[in-house]
Amino acid sequence: MSALPQAKTLPGHVVCDGNEAAAWGVVLSRPDMVAVYPITPQTSLVEALAQFAADGTLDTEMVEAEGEHSVLSVLQGACLAGARTYTATSGPGLAFMFEPYLRAPGLRLPMVMSLVTRDTLSPQCVWGGHQDAMSVRDVGWIQVYCESVQEILDTVIMAFRIAEHRDVMLPINVCHDGNYLSFGVCRVDLPDAAGVDAFLGKADTNWHVALDPDRPMGVDPLTGGGGPGAALFARYRKGHCRGMQNALQVIVDTHRDFGDRFGRRHAPLLEEYRLDDAEYAIVTIGSMTGAAKDAVDEARCAGQRAGLIKVKTYRPFPLQAMVQALARVKAVGVVDRSVSFGWNAGPVFQDVLGTLAMLPQRIPAVSFIGGLAGADLTPGHFARALETTAQALAGAVPIAPVWLNENDR
Amino acid sequence: MAAYETIAFDAARCTGCGDCMSACAQEKTGGFDHAASRIQILPAANDGFELALCRQCGDPGCVSVCPAAALEKDAASGVVRWDETKCIDCLLCTVGCVYAGIAYDERTGRVAKCDLCGGDPACVKACGEGALRHVKSAQIYNRYGELEDLFVPGLAGCQGCNTELLIRHVLRAVGPETVVAAPPGCIPGMGTVGYNGKTGTKVPVFHPLLTNTASMLAGVRRTYKRKGRDVTALALAGDGGTADVGFQSLSGAAERGEEILYVCVDNEGYMNTGMQRSGCTPYGAWTSTTPVGERSHGKTQEAKNLPLLMVMHRCAYVATASTAFMEDLYDKLARAIEASKRGFAYLHIYSPCTSGWRFPSQANIEVARKAVETGFVVLWDYTPDAGLRFTRPIDDLRAVDEYLEAVGKYRHLDAAQVAHIQAQLEKDLGLLKELAVRGAQAEARALA
Repeated sequence: MSALPQAKTLPGHVVCDGNEAAAWGVVLSRPDMVAVYPITPQTSLVEALAQFAADGTLDTEMVEAEGEHSVLSVLQGACLAGARTYTATSGPGLAFMFEPYLRAPGLRLPMVMSLVTRDTLSPQCVWGGHQDAMSVRDVGWIQVYCESVQEILDTVIMAFRIAEHRDVMLPINVCHDGNYLSFGVCRVDLPDAAGVDAFLGKADTNWHVALDPDRPMGVDPLTGGGGPGAALFARYRKGHCRGMQNALQVIVDTHRDFGDRFGRRHAPLLEEYRLDDAEYAIVTIGSMTGAAKDAVDEARCAGQRAGLIKVKTYRPFPLQAMVQALARVKAVGVVDRSVSFGWNAGPVFQDVLGTLAMLPQRIPAVSFIGGLAGADLTPGHFARALETTAQALAGAVPIAPVWLNENDR
Repeated sequence: MAAYETIAFDAARCTGCGDCMSACAQEKTGGFDHAASRIQILPAANDGFELALCRQCGDPGCVSVCPAAALEKDAASGVVRWDETKCIDCLLCTVGCVYAGIAYDERTGRVAKCDLCGGDPACVKACGEGALRHVKSAQIYNRYGELEDLFVPGLAGCQGCNTELLIRHVLRAVGPETVVAAPPGCIPGMGTVGYNGKTGTKVPVFHPLLTNTASMLAGVRRTYKRKGRDVTALALAGDGGTADVGFQSLSGAAERGEEILYVCVDNEGYMNTGMQRSGCTPYGAWTSTTPVGERSHGKTQEAKNLPLLMVMHRCAYVATASTAFMEDLYDKLARAIEASKRGFAYLHIYSPCTSGWRFPSQANIEVARKAVETGFVVLWDYTPDAGLRFTRPIDDLRAVDEYLEAVGKYRHLDAAQVAHIQAQLEKDLGLLKELAVRGAQAEARALA
């Protein structure tokens, strides 16, 4: 109900954790419907939304569903009826909503979901890790990963505009790390509500497919099989891929406009850190990046020509941006907070390997895996990653991934 | 369109008391001479009684033989009317009627026939045995016939399936301000949602997942309510998606009181995909996953009682219905539609499956009727205020064998299995009766 006046005057800044920051982003984005089911480490996000709704700070249709499967299903019905929608989940919750989750991008529903990342079972684990998000990296959702609490708030807002852009029309996961970002507290600035209203515009979710008696249509009839069906199916799939590719430019434009309006700039696809004259670099994703930048600074002080590439947008994969970044270095190490079991490596590492095929010359690459199950990734771990990458540049390339927390005590 | 009303006669209930003839004579002549009655109860050849009475036929023989156009079918009331000013007393009509429904009256020297007393027949009111019933269901068909049919012609259901009848009439009653959810199963299989860009429905319709019908509809309904639009959220779902894999979302939506009209069309299994068992498949039934072999003979567990489970969710309205009793079904449909504007309304309609249950395609309604008459299916409804009440008599139920013998999926049952089914039906009925007594007590208290 974007036309309604904001119920309450919002503060200019708050001190809060990443989960509450996401909830403030939701307040400012004014979705018509929020559906939630609590799950660690997302729970305090849900509680914050419930309190905001109870206080009248958030004017939305709140659905306290009986599980994540229904959470996403309720929102899909709402989205098809024209609602701007939001939810958040983690790990097992994501697994449980997998069936409707698979369906949202194919219906081209511009839904926004925070994914408070968590390692998957088993071993039984409630702590942070990217395994949940990485397990769904190729089912057609946009995925962006935040580095800081402020970036969570800002990215939740931007996510609605990216998802609802008519060249995109895809659901988006705004990922923030369980524990380190979900519960890490700092000061965040809130953009002004009227400015966000102008930035987002009115909800625009079902112009292409709707459940609306004023525009009756059959939504998602059987498609495929014989006759023209297979070709129609192929065109839907191809259109989905095109929407993903379109998202790259829309993400860039949206970040630029957000920076112009509100004065805070975040790297949209990749961030290059001290890469200009670097000989080698490490690739990071999510909240680990802060410690990694410290390690790069230390290495620079020690005379090493080290740099860093941070992945913000992971799906669609920013291939051209990664090609340009990697073209500057002679060796790369990739630090993943999750595992690709089929490759005995990290998933981001796989993407980097794919990118290397686009480069004129082959450079050595190393897979690092760390930060699983809430393990801390310290500047010390990154110093080791940088050192190992430097050795790879010198010719000693590990043939298996390096498990950074394997011998932590 | 003409209305087709008639007076139905249940010979098994008739005692031959003659009260109906007295009432008719009184109504038409002021006297009690049975000879003047236009309804005649006569001794039957094999004991009992039979009826001589105008049936108000749709294609009346009397009308077609009348040379004076003195008899005609009234298009509005459905009554076959006799015009004494045109009649030439040739009596051809008495020969043209096979029911002895129009007869020569010696006292007046003219013919006489039933005119349904203007829509409130005296004979029916006089019958204390329930042997005469004024059947007006055709009026309902006419009323529904005037409403827009919101499905395209030619849905591709199996021959003899009652579901097309069901979904057409449900949607006519609900009207165009509706969003229809048809989860995977027979109903979309008929073409309601469509195929490769074409759809079979004139209102918004979609495939939910098999698992999330109630959740998706909740999102639709709430969004429109927030926008100030009254859009009916209608589920036309099978028993499998409702009772099994979709049960969580159903239960959650009912608990939250989501404003949904949920129609479960229960054909006791996954019939669309080749007759696999569901939680609603009854004990003993053959399905492709509860086959009959040396070691097992059909399903070994009882069916889940889904409508009672919905009662336990305190839904705004819950009812069971059958296409063999359409007046009852229409009444419940109207109540369910009304209830779905303020809470969760659940309508459980039994749908015998000609393909999957192994019976001839012309026997669908007969099978449905036998299910009710033997107590295999009990018709009732429930509201939180009035509790549970039976909407069909449950006192003179026939043995379940009669129903089981009509359905091929029970062909293999042995005597012990049949006895088991009969015993279980009685237990289930006992529970329903207890709930109905509680309901009646609650109602009495409320009235007091």
